Amino acid sequence: MSETVNAALAAFERVLDRRVLAALEVCARCGICADSCHVFASTGEFQDTPTARSEAVRRFYRRRHDPLGQIFPWWVRAKDATEEDLDALTEAAFATCTLCQRCAMNCPLGVDTALIMKAARAMLTAVGKAPEMLVQLADAAIVRGENPDLFREVYKEIVADLEQQARERLDDPTVRIPMDKQGADILYVALSGAHTILPAAIIFHVAGADWTLSAFEASNYGVFLGNPEKAQAIAQRIVDEATRLGVKQIVLTECGHAYAAMRWEAPNWFGRDFPFRVRSIVEVLAEYVQQGRLPLDPSANPEPVTYHDSCNLGRKGGLLEEPRIVLRAVAQNFREMTPNRAEAYCCGGGGGLVAIPEWEEKRLRAGRKKAEQIRASGAPLVATSCENCFLQIRDLSAHYHLGVEVTGLMELVVNALLMARAKAKTAPQPVAVAA
Amino acid sequence: MGIWGWVVAGAFAGTVAGLGRHLAILLGRAYRPERAGAMGSPAQGVLYAFTWGMMPWAKESTRLHLLAYLRGVVFHIGIGAAFLALLVSPWRAQMAPALRWGLVALTAVGGLAGFAGLVARIAEARLRRLSTPDDFFSVTLVSLFTLAAGAAWVVPPLLPVFYVLAVATLLYIPFGKIRHCFYFFFSRYFFGVGFGRRGVIGWGKAHE
Repeated sequence: MSETVNAALAAFERVLDRRVLAALEVCARCGICADSCHVFASTGEFQDTPTARSEAVRRFYRRRHDPLGQIFPWWVRAKDATEEDLDALTEAAFATCTLCQRCAMNCPLGVDTALIMKAARAMLTAVGKAPEMLVQLADAAIVRGENPDLFREVYKEIVADLEQQARERLDDPTVRIPMDKQGADILYVALSGAHTILPAAIIFHVAGADWTLSAFEASNYGVFLGNPEKAQAIAQRIVDEATRLGVKQIVLTECGHAYAAMRWEAPNWFGRDFPFRVRSIVEVLAEYVQQGRLPLDPSANPEPVTYHDSCNLGRKGGLLEEPRIVLRAVAQNFREMTPNRAEAYCCGGGGGLVAIPEWEEKRLRAGRKKAEQIRASGAPLVATSCENCFLQIRDLSAHYHLGVEVTGLMELVVNALLMARAKAKTAPQPVAVAA
Repeated sequence: MGIWGWVVAGAFAGTVAGLGRHLAILLGRAYRPERAGAMGSPAQGVLYAFTWGMMPWAKESTRLHLLAYLRGVVFHIGIGAAFLALLVSPWRAQMAPALRWGLVALTAVGGLAGFAGLVARIAEARLRRLSTPDDFFSVTLVSLFTLAAGAAWVVPPLLPVFYVLAVATLLYIPFGKIRHCFYFFFSRYFFGVGFGRRGVIGWGKAHE
């Protein structure tokens, strides 16, 4: 076996914990998981079934760990791994599996193929076979974290401009986008786009929230690589900032993997839970709606709107009802896709796939099932709370000629909020009657 | 205990030893529990994973493939009945007829369901491509064992055949894919804990 293969197998041993081992051992190869996979449902190709993907790992696992695999490899289709196998596994683990766990939800035995693929990603990343773009994005984030002052002044100028825009939209000169605010309740972590900062600033101002904007972005490409060291390094800058400022909670913008990473996985990398809460802006929006902290007029969003459950927020994150609480308050005509919530189909762009240009055709093909769902809903507007889902669905709309617009929840909330404020301003004032 | 009793007991000891080895290997691996604060109940998730979550309506896959699901359920009930039949076989003459015939019926139907699954595994191209020689052998062996359990009670001269198949099954459990019966409990536990603590499964969680 080549040095690369040996290094890959050694890396796999390091991630082979009880959960991964159980997932490798328990499969009865009944094939019932096939239809649950959006990729197989879209392509119909054997290698796109969850079992085919996980068997690609089981073959060399059995060769090393199973007595029958060692003595009679043909009996259990065990084989020694080769570099060609690793290349094929790279495509399976990064290009045709988005780690959505829909297969795990549907397996009678609970086989977590996504967990096996995540272990495969860790192994492949360790030997330099991960997609170059994901590695570059992760490394770039680490460099930014190590040199925050290099980017801070430029960022502050951008934020100042956004602050002005927020004031104009709200017609309120007191709107602020604070940064480095000591002791704030919320440290809001956006992405690099203004569309993740401006609406949040408006919402927080109207809700009277005590918040401060993070100097860093929420995205964590270390997660997609299955590299906990890089993922921790990227998360570290936000954790340090939250600790330094003494905030009570980190609130992440509408980004599925960023939420899953910081909320669910980061405590494992750091070996401890955090002294502050970690929430998604979706949870905060639902809370504001339920507490009546935002004046909202749903007539601002009259078009039928459907909701795409991001896998990382919904099935893997537990935020199944919160987006619906918001949508029912801000949209006049909200309609569900079928299936939805924990049974929702992946859009096909998850697992970092939307950032990898060489696999664009694969992800668009894999998104056919989601495109069919959107078309069947009849809604011209698709709301989603995940940036990668947003990009994928926008591309699906073009590819499959769906003719839909895609929006985030925050934008719908701002529409409803501005409409309510505008109506309140133009509403006739009660006339005082002399006694 | 007659000679067959000792042989079967020895085979069972082999099963226990083999699965014990698997348990030691599993427990020897790192366990990395989630450290993030729970949003739901891991305990409720585990309970759901072993009860309501196993119902045919709980998963899209079993709703879509109800026949395959029912076939599997009947097969596994038959397997359980076959092991029960093995356990009580020294006292079969003293058993109440209702119980005796109940076991015969369950094993007969279960064994046939097993063979139906084998036929499906051979006939369906995707399943055939997915299957290993171990899969075909395991299903055949366990289906024969299950059928033999009932047959031996109806035709007593077949009892040694039943015991041979029982010994073969017991000894093969730790080696072949049949050992998924052992790993099932760990896999469902991890499933329940994981999705339960994230508030995705459990009672009151919406699936539509």
